[in-house]
Amino acid sequence: MMELQVLIVDDSPVMRAFIRRVLDLSGLVVSRCLEASNGEEALRLLENNWVDAVLTDINMPEMDGEELLRRMSEHDVFRLIPVLVVSTDRTEGRIQKMLSLGAKGYVTKPFAPETLREVLEQSLGVVNGSE
Amino acid sequence: MEANEIKTALASAVEDVLETMCFTTVLSSEQGTVPRGVDGGALAITAALRFHGCPSGGFRVSVPQTLARVLGAGFLGVDESEVSDAQAGDVVCELANMICGSVLSRLESETTFRITHPELIPAEPGFEGPSTCGRFDLGDGVLTASLQLQQAI
Repeated sequence: MMELQVLIVDDSPVMRAFIRRVLDLSGLVVSRCLEASNGEEALRLLENNWVDAVLTDINMPEMDGEELLRRMSEHDVFRLIPVLVVSTDRTEGRIQKMLSLGAKGYVTKPFAPETLREVLEQSLGVVNGSE
Repeated sequence: MEANEIKTALASAVEDVLETMCFTTVLSSEQGTVPRGVDGGALAITAALRFHGCPSGGFRVSVPQTLARVLGAGFLGVDESEVSDAQAGDVVCELANMICGSVLSRLESETTFRITHPELIPAEPGFEGPSTCGRFDLGDGVLTASLQLQQAI
């Protein structure tokens, strides 16, 4: 089974903990889980760490998820990393905006573990649980 | 926007968020207008936020401290004794954020709202002025959610 290294970006420590827990419950094998509380912190972590996927909130202080996506899409290496948006905002306009900026998937809170797994696997190009 | 439509959206959002995020079921609920101070007091935790869009307004979630720990334990997947005061408050804020987002999308699916960060405030579950309020019995206590919509000028 594929082992994943992921970066969770959310300004809420309890939400980051919840996402970690959901990743565990989903059956995905996460070998390393990095955390950042905003887009700036996330970019700093990406400078020195490779991850297979970034899961990011939108509304955060300092640098929000929209700006993080924009910066990653302009970077030669970071633009190769699939980004999954995890947000309470489920309006179609917002979803389309984030997808147009390069997000590979969009999950609205609240979400079930299997939903996160399904969208994450789609974002990673995994078919039926295998690469 | 009909009052019954708002009540239905509020109840559905609360049930959906609590079941999915805290693995908690609503046993019973009642809705109406709750005057300020009901369910408040020193032992309650209240998270408040504002939203801007069409319509704009405010949203609050209030729970007794004991219930906040139960919800925190369900949210984090740990024992109640492991949930700190700060975590209990953060979880109530996150629940307020998610319930509010869920209610708004049910009421106005085409509108994009800007929601402020939830903040803990002195326990006051209701608003001054007209609002829609739901009280949800979770067995370990009652969660109160209040939504106030600003009238278009």
